[in-house]
Amino acid sequence: MSDITFIRAESVTTEPRLARGLLIGGTMALIAVLLFAPLIAVFAEALRDGWAASLDALASPDARSAIRLTLIVAAIAVPLNAVFGIAAAWAITKFDFRGKAFLITLIDLPFSVSPVVAGLALVLLFGVNSSLGGWLVANDLKIVFAFPGIVLATMFVTFPFVARELIPVMIEQGRAEEEAALTLGASGWRAFFTVTLPNIRWALLYGVLLCNARAMGEFGAVAVISGKIRGETTTMPIMIEMFYNEYLSVAAFSLAGVLALLALVTLTLKSLLEWRHADVLAATRRH
Amino acid sequence: MHIEIEELAKEFGPERALHPVSLAIPSGALIALLGPSGSGKTTLLRILGGLEFPTSGRVLFDGSDATGLTVQERRAGFVFQSYALFRHMTVFENIAYGLRARKRRERPTEAEIGRRVNRLLDLIQLPDIGARYPSQLSGGQRQRVALARALAIEPRMLLLDEPFGALDAKVRKELRGGLRHIHDTTGLTTIFVTHDQEEAMELADLVVVMSMGRIEQVGKPADIRARPANDFVRDFTAA
Amino acid sequence: MRASIFRSPSPLPGFGLSFGIVMTVLSIVVLLPIGALLGRGLMIGPGDLWGMVNSRRIWSALSLSFRAALIASVFNLVFGIVLAWVLVRYRFWGRRLVDAAVDLPFALPTAVAGISLTALYAPNGVLGQALAPLGIKVAYTELGIWMALVFIGLPFVVRTVQPVIEELDREVEEVSATLGARRAYTLRRVVLPTLAPAALTGFALALARSVGEYGSVIFIAGNIPNLTEIAPLLIVIRLEEYNYDAAAAIGIAMLLISFAMLLAINLIQVWSRRRIGLV
Repeated sequence: MSDITFIRAESVTTEPRLARGLLIGGTMALIAVLLFAPLIAVFAEALRDGWAASLDALASPDARSAIRLTLIVAAIAVPLNAVFGIAAAWAITKFDFRGKAFLITLIDLPFSVSPVVAGLALVLLFGVNSSLGGWLVANDLKIVFAFPGIVLATMFVTFPFVARELIPVMIEQGRAEEEAALTLGASGWRAFFTVTLPNIRWALLYGVLLCNARAMGEFGAVAVISGKIRGETTTMPIMIEMFYNEYLSVAAFSLAGVLALLALVTLTLKSLLEWRHADVLAATRRH
Repeated sequence: MHIEIEELAKEFGPERALHPVSLAIPSGALIALLGPSGSGKTTLLRILGGLEFPTSGRVLFDGSDATGLTVQERRAGFVFQSYALFRHMTVFENIAYGLRARKRRERPTEAEIGRRVNRLLDLIQLPDIGARYPSQLSGGQRQRVALARALAIEPRMLLLDEPFGALDAKVRKELRGGLRHIHDTTGLTTIFVTHDQEEAMELADLVVVMSMGRIEQVGKPADIRARPANDFVRDFTAA
Repeated sequence: MRASIFRSPSPLPGFGLSFGIVMTVLSIVVLLPIGALLGRGLMIGPGDLWGMVNSRRIWSALSLSFRAALIASVFNLVFGIVLAWVLVRYRFWGRRLVDAAVDLPFALPTAVAGISLTALYAPNGVLGQALAPLGIKVAYTELGIWMALVFIGLPFVVRTVQPVIEELDREVEEVSATLGARRAYTLRRVVLPTLAPAALTGFALALARSVGEYGSVIFIAGNIPNLTEIAPLLIVIRLEEYNYDAAAAIGIAMLLISFAMLLAINLIQVWSRRRIGLV
């Protein structure tokens, strides 16, 4: 029987134990510093003056209005993007038409555009010195430096999330089931609700989860378009910046802590979905 | 090189893939390990090649204990059932791989490598495909390239796992002739695994019939047909 | 029924509605704004655009954004491949936790990452204090920008490479050993080339994301013009001055960089598909 030492590997397709140990140790050390340290720092700084101070800061009117605004923006932007994502996935996966690849590239566009540039583009489109902007002012409609602008900016940056999760899954699932439903007399809507939707529900949930996390956390685009009007157009990330710049460290980190908790919940739900529905979601990994 | 297998056994956890088996393989022979799936034939082949470690027993190459040798040290040319060609390399690069992987001192010059690869391409009767990629080859061509690649390292023995498995009948017949030709030309001890008794009987000098981790019978094809050791052997090798 | 040239007929209904929704929302949310940006550029005129961009401060900002993104992404390329390998091939306590945690930069808001990284690396922060005796200052220097971008880009290479490692054919590694190659040689000549396309895709994605990154960088950067000022910040500054033309000029420059990277990503995928049939 061969002599297994630390230097020789016990299997042909793996590295020797020593090498493995070093690699695991090294990468975990880097992960601790690069990933976990920032996460822990958020909570450490938030609780620097104790729980009471932190909760007080969260109860302040500015913090509360920021939380409320973030929630409302997400409650509008995420469902809208979800509907869009479903429509896009339906059009792309159930039909054949020219320019599909180009359409997919367009949908992916927001991923490669800097959020600040996104905000800038929206300002140029709807701002006072554009033709559209002039019309808006005349009709007393505000988009830039107002709520609708924030929703649009949030929709821009989270645009592709749901579509990107649904498209590979629906491609993998094919059209046969829907076609079968039709032959059995179902209408298009019925086929969609009773056949398609149940098949994609986990991928949809997954996409909505990611979309929501990004929507609540968006900073750059909102910073540009919101005007940062205290108590009116300050979402949580904006409020964090304002608190931080005013040296209200506990307030800034407490608000950040809430968002960090949200991130942890998102990650947990995401992992749960991945483990329990790996077969469905595996399609998204391959694309 | 003659090979001796002494009381080789292999367990995968609770499962016994090989009961202690013993076998003597004469130098230069073309041997078939024949049996249904689960008979342990592939396990035995992999142990010979160094890809698995036996739970007990010894393997001897030319009389010396080779059980502890690493895969690299064994110089056993191995052809996998799926061929396992390197997709990102050309045919030439695939065949040259073993020679280029050697340490600097033992490595031939590029010119010499080129000569050897071309000679091997001639041996497998595919002299013009050196620049192609595996994805551009047919199944039969890939099998031959896998063979050439294994031969390039001047192995002490040739081990083939279901070499004709994934191919259609006509191609199989051609390749059988090819394998016989290569064996006769190189004189290498060659062991191949198959579940196809016709193949084993037609090609091999010696057939090892296996079942459920045991060797049921060893002998020349004619002898096995004429005097099967038990019902299993008789039924399995029926023409 | 007349078959349209645009699309093949299909028994499934709903194309009109779904396609209509897609084009409408896509236009309002994405295409019109981008169009407005490009339109502004046309109004200014290419000559004047170039004049505006061609200033030292803007060049510094653009090259800083790109350079820092490149450095961080190269680090993430190497570390990402190693981490992906460790997560897929090795078993150790906490592996699943770390695997889930890799997505943290995706889930964590950039502003949160920004202030916490600053707290860590500031002169009075835990890591800042640890590095001070080595003479390394991170916060408010370009080094800080690198750290922030490493954080942001970490998941990209890992996540694109992991599925490829999972589907690696072990037999190819075995055959390499039978041909006499040592483990390191096998990893270098057989495994790594197979991972290369996915790794490069991940690298390009990380790069594209890092170039335009704003929230996680502005807190730790120091934001000194010509030194540690990133391009997106310059856009924000010009907007606050109501200098829409200058902001648009920089924005278009960044947009062009983004498009170039999108193109590079697509080319990598086409090349690798043709070469190996893998992505």
